[in-house]
Amino acid sequence: MKVLLKHTLLASVVAVTTAAQAEVNIVSWGGAYTASQQKAYQDTYKDPGSINFINYNGGLGEVRTQVESGNVTWDIVDVLPHEGRVGCDEGLFEELDRSRFAPAPDGTPMDDDIMVELPNDCVVPQIFWSYVPFYKAGTFKDAQPTTIADFFNVKKFPGKRGIHTWPNALIEMALLADGVAVKDVYKVMSTPEGIDRAFMMLDKIKDHAVFWSSGAKPLELVQSGEVSMALAYNGRIGAAILSEDAPFVTVWDGQVLEEEWLGMMKGAPNKEAAMDFLIHASTTQSQAEQAKYINYGPMRASAFEIIKKGEPWFHNGKNIMEHMPNRPEVMPRSVVASPEWWADYGDSVGERYTAWMGQ
Amino acid sequence: MSTAPATVDGPLLTADGVPLKESLQISLRRSKMRALLLVLPPLLFLIFLFVIPIGNMLTRSVDDNLINDVLPNTFAAFETWDKKSEPTEAMFEAFYKDLRDADRTDIGKASVRMNYANPGWRSLIKRTARKIDKMEPPYKEAFLKADDRWLDQDFWRSLGIMKDRVTFGYYLNAVDLDYDYDKNIIQQDEERKVYNLLWWRTIKVSIIVTIACLLLAYPVSYLLATLPMRIANLLMICVLMPFWTSLLVRIVAWMIMLQQNGVVNDTLVAAGVLSDENRLSMMYNFNGTIIVMTQILLPFMILPIYSVMKTIPPSYMKAAQNLGATPTLAFIRVYMPQTIPGIGAGCILVFIVAIGYYITPELVGGKDGRLIGNMVAYHMQRSLNWGLAAAMGTILLCVILVFYWVYDKIIGIDNMKMG
Amino acid sequence: MSSENALVRFVDIQKSYDGEALVVKNLNLDVAKGEFLTMLGPSGSGKTTCLMMLAGFEPATHGEIFLNEHPINRVPPHKRGIGMVFQNYALFPHMTVAENLAFPLEVRHMDKSEREQRVKRALDMVQLGKFGDPRPAQLSGGQAQRVAVARSLVFDPDLVLMDEPLGALDKNLREQMQYEIKHIHENLGLTVVYVTHDQSEALTMSNRIAVFDDGIIQQCDPPPVLYEEPNNAFVAGFIGENNRFVGKVTEDSGDTVKVEIEAGAVVVAKKVNVEGVGSRSTLSLRPERVTVDPEAGSLPNIFSGKAEELIYLGDHIRTRFTVLGHDDFIVKIPNSAAHARLKEGDTVNIGWNAEDCRALDPSD
Repeated sequence: MKVLLKHTLLASVVAVTTAAQAEVNIVSWGGAYTASQQKAYQDTYKDPGSINFINYNGGLGEVRTQVESGNVTWDIVDVLPHEGRVGCDEGLFEELDRSRFAPAPDGTPMDDDIMVELPNDCVVPQIFWSYVPFYKAGTFKDAQPTTIADFFNVKKFPGKRGIHTWPNALIEMALLADGVAVKDVYKVMSTPEGIDRAFMMLDKIKDHAVFWSSGAKPLELVQSGEVSMALAYNGRIGAAILSEDAPFVTVWDGQVLEEEWLGMMKGAPNKEAAMDFLIHASTTQSQAEQAKYINYGPMRASAFEIIKKGEPWFHNGKNIMEHMPNRPEVMPRSVVASPEWWADYGDSVGERYTAWMGQ
Repeated sequence: MSTAPATVDGPLLTADGVPLKESLQISLRRSKMRALLLVLPPLLFLIFLFVIPIGNMLTRSVDDNLINDVLPNTFAAFETWDKKSEPTEAMFEAFYKDLRDADRTDIGKASVRMNYANPGWRSLIKRTARKIDKMEPPYKEAFLKADDRWLDQDFWRSLGIMKDRVTFGYYLNAVDLDYDYDKNIIQQDEERKVYNLLWWRTIKVSIIVTIACLLLAYPVSYLLATLPMRIANLLMICVLMPFWTSLLVRIVAWMIMLQQNGVVNDTLVAAGVLSDENRLSMMYNFNGTIIVMTQILLPFMILPIYSVMKTIPPSYMKAAQNLGATPTLAFIRVYMPQTIPGIGAGCILVFIVAIGYYITPELVGGKDGRLIGNMVAYHMQRSLNWGLAAAMGTILLCVILVFYWVYDKIIGIDNMKMG
Repeated sequence: MSSENALVRFVDIQKSYDGEALVVKNLNLDVAKGEFLTMLGPSGSGKTTCLMMLAGFEPATHGEIFLNEHPINRVPPHKRGIGMVFQNYALFPHMTVAENLAFPLEVRHMDKSEREQRVKRALDMVQLGKFGDPRPAQLSGGQAQRVAVARSLVFDPDLVLMDEPLGALDKNLREQMQYEIKHIHENLGLTVVYVTHDQSEALTMSNRIAVFDDGIIQQCDPPPVLYEEPNNAFVAGFIGENNRFVGKVTEDSGDTVKVEIEAGAVVVAKKVNVEGVGSRSTLSLRPERVTVDPEAGSLPNIFSGKAEELIYLGDHIRTRFTVLGHDDFIVKIPNSAAHARLKEGDTVNIGWNAEDCRALDPSD
């Protein structure tokens, strides 16, 4: 009896560990975003049970800890543009065999199908998202805000402004509001005078600023009337409008687009299974599928074509294109964030921004 | 008596002629070994979870080995440069050799380190490294073709900051100082100064929170210690309730209570105490941090004070009154001094926890309620500047040790009672 | 008792903690100036409650306490000026011995030199002249006890209360301290109200002992009276050892009564506290008042007894007999040259005087 019990226990332990080994751990941001990834990638995958999503709060701290200690438990990480580059530079991510990824339906290789330049061989395309200003319909009586300059104009559009506690996108927006052309933004930002100019613009809303650090907060702030306008992730605003009919109005001017990539951990425990899933997640079809559940723009141009032809594409029968941050109509007035600039100047501008907040 | 082996000139011997000391040691050896075995697990625990991480932190905060391993030729060539004239071909060649020979990820890591010394290094190295395989002499021209910033002497001169294998640069940065290119200590750029502000704010917040906790905890502990068991137990559950509730739930509850459109403000406006425009800002700022941290850390103050108060027999207060002291005077002169060990333990505990706190300030601190702990977390998780994070951690440790030392001088560590 | 020179008077005092039961039932007691009065009784008898009411830590539910003819029910403890030695001394652990002693003087705003002088005098009085500096925790039990006494006296109170002050000491030290406290009391002419449950302590020290039971003073008399002439069965049983028989009064001849014990035998006893013929009575007889093997007819009470057990105690031999159906009859036989050499199992006559056998209430 005892022996039998022991063997059963042993067998179940072995079963559990092997099952766990076959599992691919993919780390992402949680909420509606992870849900869209699960529906578009996991549910359409040949073996959905082998994929396990884990939530995190971004940053490479845990990634570096795992790789440096040699105790890697994650396989795939969903990262921001900056982390996608640093992770590859510091050898925290695997370099991937690009030839294995699926080309677009017209035969274009994946790397040429991506709407931005591929930064390195570690990352796999995901989506574009953006920092964008919005307000609640009915907040302003006469003129409605239409430009990024309006966001910085508290005389014309009174009320508080919800902004985030780090400088990304805010520097770009401040310069756009100050009249800098979209194509010149990073040129101006690369000079000390340019940074001063951005902070002078930020000073105009400083006394009216309410700071947020978690993505749901700006929506609460605008909804409750605590602020009259706020910056938020475009996907959060879109989700509120598309799924809950929230009366939010997005100002499609001066948004700052950010890339989102997938990377594979250096020394990932299930390298081959993870690679297989990455190939699946980056196909044109998977990318288009994701837009049924969230209004973040696919990075592959071919996916965009499928969505355009398939409207109304959103899962509840609404049109999604007008909520896509990288649709062609808004691109002329959008800045694609430069991870390279932020890699160089992020620390110093970050310190200056923190000091500015606390003054 | 006649068998007593003691002699005047030799060591004391046992009955069989072995020196007494030796045989004592043999008899004690077994118990010593056993004691050592018992101590071993906690000792290993201490080494792995305390000594090694702290050693690692201290090392990281001054370590500049990587860059010197990656760029040996460059630093050698740098030493021959007069730091005024244009960088020489020899320097470019040295740089070329280093970039060519080094491991790619090492170059990546090195460029991150170099970017701290002079912003821009990261992209400069990256762009150059991409073309390194196709480069041919003269290297100066080849480098300039890759990126024209190579003529910018600031980049070259910033090498001077990194040429030693041990650096105190992270410590300087952590207190708003910096090295100039000749490794003289200078003030950080005015608009980048942020850490000193945060240090003072952190200490200020910790002290305020400690005092607030003490003022709130003292009467509560007194009630707990003196009320009848049944009521005291109920009160104790209320005190411990926060321990059983998730930190986030508690913080969100405070947000609902204290925000501009929160319960407290709504009530005050409805009661006519405040007008609608003058709603108090108690959340997303300094006040929010203080209020929420005080609530969260309160049990750490109550429990040690309570456990000390519990041991003070009521007869002391009676005796003092019997000897002619009014109840108030008896409380101040006789009761309070006896609670000092508990007060000390509570204060030290709350202060140490408060000084490293970052979750609460992150969520409710807004723009002026964020503390140094938030910066440590930021540099650990986001900027990956672990050297700076380690330096700040070390300073934090020193601040705690200083307060500990002051406490020892004033009250005495032996007097501390945790319960 | 006359109340003329009474320092403390309890008048019709009742005390209840819960509103349901009385802990102290209608207490009337005077304590004369200079008297050493001991409240003696088992735990829960109300003696400590009385002391606490006198010190001011418990309010009386009913009645009035007078100190020097002034009612003090509404006077808070710190204004009563009564010295007190607590059960565990209650020496303040964060102060030195000298600071402890100076405390009552300090709160009375006495100036420093006077304070020091008084502290020194108080310490000298308890033979601890050189023990001003240590903290209470560094003292031995006996030293701490002395300090507690010194502290209760240092501000010259007329009245000192002591709540089982010697309970924590070992036997030898306790006896020594009993004498010291008694001497201090005599030398200073203090009035002391002393609470204890130890009867030998009470007998040693007191001018008068109030025996408490069930919230009532059973008897309040000087020690010899209490021992020799207990008023009732409880006091007889609580103070010293006694042999008891319970029986029915068959004849009442004024000074003496005849009491029939269950066994049928009749004992002649001194009438103290019996209601009359036909009522029940407890007879109390001290073990040292029993004569072994008396001459026939020399004593009114002579019965046959069987020696069950002998214990040699040096100055006397404690012998347990079976007499009149009771197998717990104790006799203390003096260890004199003339005493009978008994062995266990011997049957002898034992007898006693009617004077020494007190007929009391039937107790339970």
